[in-house]
Amino acid sequence: MGLQEVAAVWAEGRASGPAPRADAVDVAMQRYAEGDEAAFAVVYDALAPRLYGYLLRQTRDSGHAEDLVQQTMLHIHRARARFIPGAKVMPWAFAIARRLFVDGLRRERREVPVAEGGDPDGGPALGASADALVQARECAARIERVLAGLPASQRAAFELVKYEGLSIADAAVVLGTTVAAVKLRAHRAYEALRSALGDVADDLGGAAR
Amino acid sequence: MNTSRPAPELRERVLAAVRREPVATGREGARGRAAVVLRGFGVAAAIAIAAGIHGSEAKTPRPPGCILSLELLWLSLAVAATWAGVDRGRSMLGRRKAWRVAVATLTPAAMLAAWLPVALAWPETLTIASGLRAHLVCTAMTMALAAGPLIAFAWLRRASDPVSPRLTGAALGATAGAWGDVAHVPICGYTEPAHIVVGHILPVVLLALVGVIIGDRVVALRAEAPGR
Repeated sequence: MGLQEVAAVWAEGRASGPAPRADAVDVAMQRYAEGDEAAFAVVYDALAPRLYGYLLRQTRDSGHAEDLVQQTMLHIHRARARFIPGAKVMPWAFAIARRLFVDGLRRERREVPVAEGGDPDGGPALGASADALVQARECAARIERVLAGLPASQRAAFELVKYEGLSIADAAVVLGTTVAAVKLRAHRAYEALRSALGDVADDLGGAAR
Repeated sequence: MNTSRPAPELRERVLAAVRREPVATGREGARGRAAVVLRGFGVAAAIAIAAGIHGSEAKTPRPPGCILSLELLWLSLAVAATWAGVDRGRSMLGRRKAWRVAVATLTPAAMLAAWLPVALAWPETLTIASGLRAHLVCTAMTMALAAGPLIAFAWLRRASDPVSPRLTGAALGATAGAWGDVAHVPICGYTEPAHIVVGHILPVVLLALVGVIIGDRVVALRAEAPGR
């Protein structure tokens, strides 16, 4: 099992089911912009779980994450009249969520505590053996610590691409940078994780075999 | 329990908040945007007409071909800047950063470059003396003519950019400056180099800088202050 899979195991424990097809969200938002009031619920259902997962990872506080999801959804609602038919909703939503989080952080001028236990959600909900579960939790905690020690730009790129499943191009849009920069940042974050967690990855790899 | 999903109450809360705050649909919004743009450009046109009635202080009129050529060249640049710097293309986050950087920085340079062939085609216009006062009057006039379009552009993009609002604002400012010059060319009597640089290109640069502030204050998407 490679490090990507290790990270995926951790991410899977937090993800909220399969990611919705991006174009379904785009179509729903377009319908909403065209006047279909009921379509906003579809937009919410598609976006909220992913935004919540992302924001929970940033804030480590479910209440704060929910507040930010609510603000993000209201910004999307208020942009109804300005929605561009055919525009991609997912990177836009993540960009709003990220901006709201960063603004809140700046306003409060507080440090985001890094959970020593690493997993505010109680760990991955895997149908795995107890040993594998313990290993996955330890791995998650270590991933958390390594990520917390990375430069914010690398962490952000890595999280958007690896955990949120955005394409490199969409992550670049969210972060306001180039595709090459996102690739580089995500790669550096990955290398940092690999060097810090190589033994865990090997252990898990052995367990997997 | 998988707590990585938001609480079900959040869904109800968000949908209730959305119901309490009805907003325009895309079609209604398009009408509102068109009205704002018309008003912004209408203000510029009104100022230009008023200034045109007042007339230029230049003693020697420029050839109509010179005015028309410069007008068409700068109009093309203003349209291109609007497309690249104001229009968002197919993304809710606007065109790529590189496009906006190009609009903010290259618009004044391109306008200066577009003036060169006109100056070479009508070299006699290079010697129509203006002076510092005329330069400064045109600087102020270009900025006044650009104010309407700039306010309209800022309104169109208000609270919409969560990624690089200052850059967007700079592009909006430079584009508005280009439109200000388009409105100004027919009524300004001078085409000499120093006048073009100070009276017509410098305002575009200044407006790009003003746009940075507008981007930060108006275009930026911000979190609501607690308690709102």
